[in-house]
Amino acid sequence: MNTTFKYLLTGLLLIVAGAQCVQVFTRYILEIPVMGLEELLIYPTLWLYVLGSVNASREDSQIRANVLEIFLKTKRGHLRLAVLGEVLSIGIVGWLTYWGWDFFKYTLRVWKESPTLYIPTFYADCALFIGLVLMTLWTLASLVKHVRALLDHSDEETGGEQNG
Amino acid sequence: MVEAALLAFGVLVVLLTLGVPLPYCFGGGVMVMVFVGGATMKGAMLWGFGQLSSPVLLAIPLFVLAGTIMSSSGIAGALLKFVDVFVSRIKGGLGVVATVSCAIIGAISGSGLTGVAAIGPILIPEMEKKGYPRAYATALVANSSILGLLIPPSVTMIVYGWVTDTSILACFLATLGPGLLIMTLFSITNLAWARRFPLVLDAPMTFPEFGKELSRRSVVAFPALVMPVVILGGIYGGIMTPTEAAAVAVIYALPVGFMIYRGLTLSTLLEAGKEAGTAVGAIMIMILFSLILSQMLVLQNAPQALVDLIFGITTDRTLLLILVNILLFMLGMVVNDITAIILVAPLLLPLMQAIDVSPVQFAAIIGVNTAMGGVTPPYASILYLGARIGKVKVTQVVRPAMILLILGYVPVVFLTSFWSDLSLGFPRFFGY
Amino acid sequence: ETLKISHVRPQGTTVDKDLRGFSATVEKATAGKLKFDIYAANALRDYTVVQERISVGAVDMALQPVATAADKRLQIGALPYLATDWDSAKRVYGKGSKLRQAMEELYAKQDIRVLAAYPVYFGGISLNKEPVNAGQADAKKGLKLRVPPIKSFQLLADSIGYIGSPLPFSEAFTAVQTGVVDGVIGSGAEGYYASFKDVTKYYLPMNTHFEVWYLLINGEKFSELAKDEQAALEKASAEFETARWAAAAEDQTANEKRLQDAGAIIVEVSAADLDANAKQARAVVWPEIIKDIGAAWAQPIVDSVTK
Ligand code: NA
Ligand code: NA
Repeated sequence: MNTTFKYLLTGLLLIVAGAQCVQVFTRYILEIPVMGLEELLIYPTLWLYVLGSVNASREDSQIRANVLEIFLKTKRGHLRLAVLGEVLSIGIVGWLTYWGWDFFKYTLRVWKESPTLYIPTFYADCALFIGLVLMTLWTLASLVKHVRALLDHSDEETGGEQNG
Repeated sequence: MVEAALLAFGVLVVLLTLGVPLPYCFGGGVMVMVFVGGATMKGAMLWGFGQLSSPVLLAIPLFVLAGTIMSSSGIAGALLKFVDVFVSRIKGGLGVVATVSCAIIGAISGSGLTGVAAIGPILIPEMEKKGYPRAYATALVANSSILGLLIPPSVTMIVYGWVTDTSILACFLATLGPGLLIMTLFSITNLAWARRFPLVLDAPMTFPEFGKELSRRSVVAFPALVMPVVILGGIYGGIMTPTEAAAVAVIYALPVGFMIYRGLTLSTLLEAGKEAGTAVGAIMIMILFSLILSQMLVLQNAPQALVDLIFGITTDRTLLLILVNILLFMLGMVVNDITAIILVAPLLLPLMQAIDVSPVQFAAIIGVNTAMGGVTPPYASILYLGARIGKVKVTQVVRPAMILLILGYVPVVFLTSFWSDLSLGFPRFFGY
Repeated sequence: ETLKISHVRPQGTTVDKDLRGFSATVEKATAGKLKFDIYAANALRDYTVVQERISVGAVDMALQPVATAADKRLQIGALPYLATDWDSAKRVYGKGSKLRQAMEELYAKQDIRVLAAYPVYFGGISLNKEPVNAGQADAKKGLKLRVPPIKSFQLLADSIGYIGSPLPFSEAFTAVQTGVVDGVIGSGAEGYYASFKDVTKYYLPMNTHFEVWYLLINGEKFSELAKDEQAALEKASAEFETARWAAAAEDQTANEKRLQDAGAIIVEVSAADLDANAKQARAVVWPEIIKDIGAAWAQPIVDSVTK
């Protein structure tokens, strides 16, 4: 999975960077800019963003502030906080996924097309819903992991924590 | 209306205190606006995702990737060695190398993380070897790394220009003055502070030795020194847009990293790509939900309500600027720089214009404050990364980092607000 | 009830004032039952998405250009040189024309009701560099023009001898300022004054296309209104359109004057040259676009308004 994401994300980034360079080259050197290139670029760009974020959820590296964590001293406290955060996260991302589904249905129904090449925008738009579903699932997975760890942990030692 | 907005902010802060990932914190704010504030989710995803496809935002992943490649390719190391030849034999000189190198890297990277990621692994151990306390070295590199957001190009200024319809090139230049001043203040502070450390200095060089060393290191650094010229020259010389310049930087860095500095291999490139892609994904999903929240506030007329509310309390320009700075400072403590701008720039710009602060000067005010947020706990991404790289505890870095912040940064924050030439001088000089 | 209405220009501009006048009229006619919140200057960001938001009912109303993503046939009104003077413009775009009917039907498919058309201007070319053979349709100008992401403009720029360079609107101004491109096509004096006045050294009133905006309302929202409110809204809209047709030509002259006062040189192009440009653009652009949007549907409409 890690390798897949490495190739996917690097590939998408390089496609996007390469295409932008082509545009500079054709406009500045050849003076015949490629029409439609920038609308083509939207597809790998949006998939890059979504898959990057999915991978952040997979690696549990979404951006967060971790304010309370600094004050929690015990492993158990940390685990409890993680579980609470993940329960809240799932509630929110689940709700957002519902609206992502709404958007998915909309873009499927309206079947918009890009302005000059008439490529259906659905192929980029569908990324959001798919991404949100995957993000929800990975958040669920880390919730399960943390709940298990919490249960294991409470078997080993009870009490003795500072921030309950 | 304002009540719902305040409640949304309250929920946002509670969620992020609990360690909920930032995108979902904004999602929580959005839920408050929908269930309490009467906003609608109809069309919100469609709108927000449409905004993400803006080619302007595409500069963010590309500048982030350029930075990641710099760190893993050896490009940054060459720059470091080049700066080092000038000052390393002065007492405290190595600290100046840290600050100035971060500024030069800032002229290539648009992110505040590149400096510490690229030179931290090399310079922090080196500084320790020469007698600087490790925590101090880490704090200095991390604080200097912020310059990546102040020396153009800068992703925060791209986002500010984009959400407020202000010239991005003018915004780039607006933070240049404050950035250079901070670089100077950090250098001076460091030279003074370094007197207290038992430093080991390299043996002084004779002039011919210096000449020889300089020319050798210049040759090695040349391909790296060309990068800022290509990027900034390309943008300001009318060859390419900022987004295209970011792409060119990436494509240029590839052969340079693979063949000249040889730090880059297929596996480090893939690692850099994944790292940059993941960082960008995490930023973009956050931008998506902060945009939706911000748009809901706009649709509820919150910016005007805010102006009315605040003008009901005071219309004093000085007081308002101080309040805005405090607000931005506190926001910078808890939220990421880009999302802070997306959330508050549309809210505060009408207020700023009402007290005759131009959008370009406000770019500098908000840019300096949110950049500083990268090192102010609790959410201090740059400082945390520095601590990880420097292998010191965050709690140890905080003290020297805050002292540097107070001596080098806070004065500039105030000057940016109250001395408009500092931010408007460069834009004016270049005709923006 | 308060309706959210969006438009694309800053506060205090003609369209903003016109819209505020409209809103006052409706408010008065309905004794305050219908009110408006006006979102100026793209507060809701770009108009293409605003159109979709009207379609799904997230925004109630807008006065703005046509976005064509949901149905490419909406491009029909953007054909270059479809109208050549104000009289023909009224024939092509005015109430009752075949094209207008077609536009209303296409919008209706998106659950959007067209309340009024708002003729804005005849388009032209803004240049930051000295023009080259401005009038001559055949001459290769060697000048790069920023074209909006709309196919007819991209084809148009090339068909009359320029190098069309697609760039996003948000980067367009700076691109002209730094010299990435030499000028802009796809707008008119009003639009250039609003967004490009500092980089418009020359303005070429080539009548490239006729810009029409539409006053739109979400269909469901409209049908939910009380009968008397609907009537008041329609009456005010009809007056709004009539008043604008009467004022548009003069407004265009005023905007050219504004550009001039801001330092631009207006490069007059002779009627014969305009004609030659029109012929050339029609020959190159029309067949392509008409083929794209379906000749069987489009050709009769184009024929009916141009003959
Ligand atoms: Na920078
Ligand atoms: Na912070």
